[in-house]
Amino acid sequence: MSIKKGRFTIENLENVQINIGSVVSSGKAEEKEIPKGLTPAPEIHELRDWDLKLLDRYEAAYSPVCDMCCYCTYGKCDLTGNKEGACGINMEAHQAREAMLRTLTGAAAHSGHGRHLLNNLIERFGADYPIDVGPSDIKAPLTQTIMGIKPETIGDFVPVLDYVEEQLTQLLATTHMGQEGSAIDFESKALHAGMVDHLGMEVSDIIQISCLDMPKSQEDAPLADVGMGIIDSTKPVLLCIGHNVAAVTYIMDYMEEHDLFDKIELVGLCCTAHDMTRVNDKAKIVGSVSKQLKYIRSGIPDLIIVDEQCVRADMMRETSKLHIPVIATNDKIMYGLPDRTKDDIDDIIRDLSSGDQPGALLFDYEKVGELAPKLVMKMAPIRKEKGITALPDDDEFKKLASSCTMCGACVIGCPQGLDIDKAMEAAAGGDLTLFEELHDKCVGCGRCEFDCPKSIPILNVIEKAAQKVIREEKGKVRTGRGQVGDPEIREEGVNLVLGTTPGIVAIVGCPNYPDGSRDIYDIAEEMLKRSYIVVTSGCSAMDIGMYKDDDGKTLYERYGGRFLKGNLLNTGSCVSNAHISATTIKVAAIFARRDINGNFEEIADYVMNRIGAVGLAWGAYSQKALSIGTGCNRLGIPVVLGPHGPKYRRAYLGKPYDKDKWNLFDARNGSVVNVEPAPEHMLISAETKAEVLPMLAKLCFRPGDNNLGRMIKLTHYIELSEKYLGALPDDWHVYVRSEADLPLAKREELLKKLEEEHGWKIDWDKKKILEGPARKVDVSFQPTNVLRLCKGASE
Amino acid sequence: MAAKVLDTTKNAVPFDRANVPGPKIAKAVKAEVAGKFISKAKRPLLIVGTAGGDDGVIDVVKSMAEKGIPVAATGNSIKRLKEEGIDATYVNLHALVSYLKDPNWKGFDGEGGYDTTIFLGHTYYYASQLMSTLKNFTKIKIISIDRHYHPNAQQSFGNLKPDDFLKALDVVVAQL
Ligand code: SF4
Ligand code: SF4
Ligand code: SF4
Repeated sequence: MSIKKGRFTIENLENVQINIGSVVSSGKAEEKEIPKGLTPAPEIHELRDWDLKLLDRYEAAYSPVCDMCCYCTYGKCDLTGNKEGACGINMEAHQAREAMLRTLTGAAAHSGHGRHLLNNLIERFGADYPIDVGPSDIKAPLTQTIMGIKPETIGDFVPVLDYVEEQLTQLLATTHMGQEGSAIDFESKALHAGMVDHLGMEVSDIIQISCLDMPKSQEDAPLADVGMGIIDSTKPVLLCIGHNVAAVTYIMDYMEEHDLFDKIELVGLCCTAHDMTRVNDKAKIVGSVSKQLKYIRSGIPDLIIVDEQCVRADMMRETSKLHIPVIATNDKIMYGLPDRTKDDIDDIIRDLSSGDQPGALLFDYEKVGELAPKLVMKMAPIRKEKGITALPDDDEFKKLASSCTMCGACVIGCPQGLDIDKAMEAAAGGDLTLFEELHDKCVGCGRCEFDCPKSIPILNVIEKAAQKVIREEKGKVRTGRGQVGDPEIREEGVNLVLGTTPGIVAIVGCPNYPDGSRDIYDIAEEMLKRSYIVVTSGCSAMDIGMYKDDDGKTLYERYGGRFLKGNLLNTGSCVSNAHISATTIKVAAIFARRDINGNFEEIADYVMNRIGAVGLAWGAYSQKALSIGTGCNRLGIPVVLGPHGPKYRRAYLGKPYDKDKWNLFDARNGSVVNVEPAPEHMLISAETKAEVLPMLAKLCFRPGDNNLGRMIKLTHYIELSEKYLGALPDDWHVYVRSEADLPLAKREELLKKLEEEHGWKIDWDKKKILEGPARKVDVSFQPTNVLRLCKGASE
Repeated sequence: MAAKVLDTTKNAVPFDRANVPGPKIAKAVKAEVAGKFISKAKRPLLIVGTAGGDDGVIDVVKSMAEKGIPVAATGNSIKRLKEEGIDATYVNLHALVSYLKDPNWKGFDGEGGYDTTIFLGHTYYYASQLMSTLKNFTKIKIISIDRHYHPNAQQSFGNLKPDDFLKALDVVVAQL
């Protein structure tokens, strides 16, 4: 008998369904691909040598959030001052364990999402459904590099996720007491978790791009509306929150079939929103996760569908007060709701619209697809008639603001330390400007309300006060384009490696910004003007689209979406971050013709030494952001976090003053070359936008830059330092290898400084540097950290 | 005189209520005590965050620099400090704490590490987290003369009103 991958039902046996995954007895999978490469599907220890190289140069620096450990009943143990707990673990190793656990949590969230989606899509489309990501031969760069296989169908990803899940289980096991005791090995494990995370993300996004007809490497993907001000609340408003678009696609299909897009406002929050617009550009994006509680409190949504990740835990308390029914569609979030999967749709609608039940679990997505539009249309008139909102009216607002005693308890409770008390005082006197400013800096967490002795619903007051600003929150975001296509790499790879395109700046992650969302728009604009390729995803991609220039245009409308210098690319949702790291792999494969199959170490080594790419997670808050960052780090891509970043407990910091840490090999002959500290750090944080801008430019330096490339990069580093920090950076000269590295416009001035301040010898007739640089430029230099990659050498 | 009634030890609760690190937390100290503590340091380092460039605070930074305390300008404080003619070195705070932890780091002047760090003008949670590196992995003394109580320091002011904060800083400077 010939069995194809996928699903079949046995006749006369109702509800029996057999899913065939990797065990296949016929068809293509018979010639099951043998994984290629040096380290296909590596176990935890197999890339440890690479990790140790990284960690030797970029030492882990720990910043404990809590000085104790309470993992087992021997504890609590006081580990202050690097003391050991009862089991013998010291503070350093425990912090490494804590950071590893967060990385693992993030990786599990992505790959759990991926597994759910894969099961769903195999059921709908069959395991033989082909992968289609656009005009690329390298369809799954991370999968090829890590697993050593080249998937062709979505079913080929089943063993990939099997591998991911096995690694995550093994890694999780090491957090148990009495397992790993070494900080550096916890770091190696964290790097492994980060790598595996990128693999899980790649699977998640490729399968949805392929099956759900999302844009495929499309530089001119359509623009979607974003912002709290774009929603037409005269229509029933159906709000979807989370990260997994599976259930929502059935709603969209039903709405298309029944011509309901004109009648219902379908909106999303967080990454589900991104993916909704990738499936159907009639969907709209409310905004990032920090808008969640604010938008619920506005009372505008008539029905909420939740899936997974970054959904508020207090959802039911908030929504039941406002008579907004909630449909939960995923095992990860069930809120104690009754499972109504097997029930009749009309019965469910009756119980939810009457308020008898605040919400329901529904795992049959066909039912979700039909129920959601029907229910939202039923809810809207009921709720509108009652005028339900949590926001106070004008009189109440005045009363609330005036009842504030300026005690400051809320300010101490607020994670951002916002001056709520001063804004209350001003508002009581009729001045709303402080609250209007505070609204954007407020991450919508609601913590302040728990501390107010006057029980003022502070978030409602903020949102009421900021209504004028909120109405104007209307932006555009280019819908997620997915991967960077091979043809784009062919065109731009050379510029990146030589440095003539100064770098890739990936602005990604969550909205826990230190000073409001405008910062990342400003950062993106500054780097775009300087011809960096700005790549974005997730909540950051939304916030970048929220601001406009004088002509009313967003950055997405002003800059192209191609992988080319000075372009702005939105890859998509959180899981689309995989395409950013994958892009560097593609450069290694296509431009440098490296064999990527099962060859992680060599590729990471290439990326670290040649490709000027840096990640910025300015508002990183989630564990996922840490795992994405850690995965980038293992691949040799440095990452910068905002000032909340040290709460992740660990950074990877270089020591530019320690010359011995900056030795590389020249792959042509294995000789040791002492190079400038580039990239200087692997995982670091910054306090302000002004500090981070020059840092991003600096982290794009690579030992492999040619003169023109280094000159361009140095120009931006110097200009950004002068513009934002008011001076030349102290270390600019460290990156000068010859006069040709110097910015043209300043060459003479800088030569003078090199002579006077650094004692370099200059030939003034020829305007040449005679003595001073740590090394000369050698156009054929092949920098590597891996001795075995050198000609004639073995490690 | 206002400075006499000023008590900087009051309201010593973490600014960000949940920022309770463990058994060892900073002693809330009077401004005079903080000043004396700093004046006794052999190798002090004043670490100034972005708000160290704020009006009022910058004068204190200037006075301390003039008394010979080396200044590390973190965040983007360097711009304002340079404008005021203060001799300071830009360094990223995260990187700085890892250098401080390294016994081989020679300091900004090549003379070796520092025995006392003085924090002023920082984003609260940022400085708090990075003080925890120094607290747990070095023997360096940490004193916060910032506006808010820092449990990860050894000595800190309690949470102060803006006016009292500036007064307290004047008291500190007077001790140097
Ligand atoms: S795991 Fe170790 S340090 Fe943690 S509570 Fe148990 S004995 Fe103490
Ligand atoms: S809701 Fe806003 S103001 Fe309130 S604690 Fe959170 S961030 Fe601060
Ligand atoms: S806690 Fe309440 S009463 Fe106190 S300042 Fe804040 S809003 Fe006003």
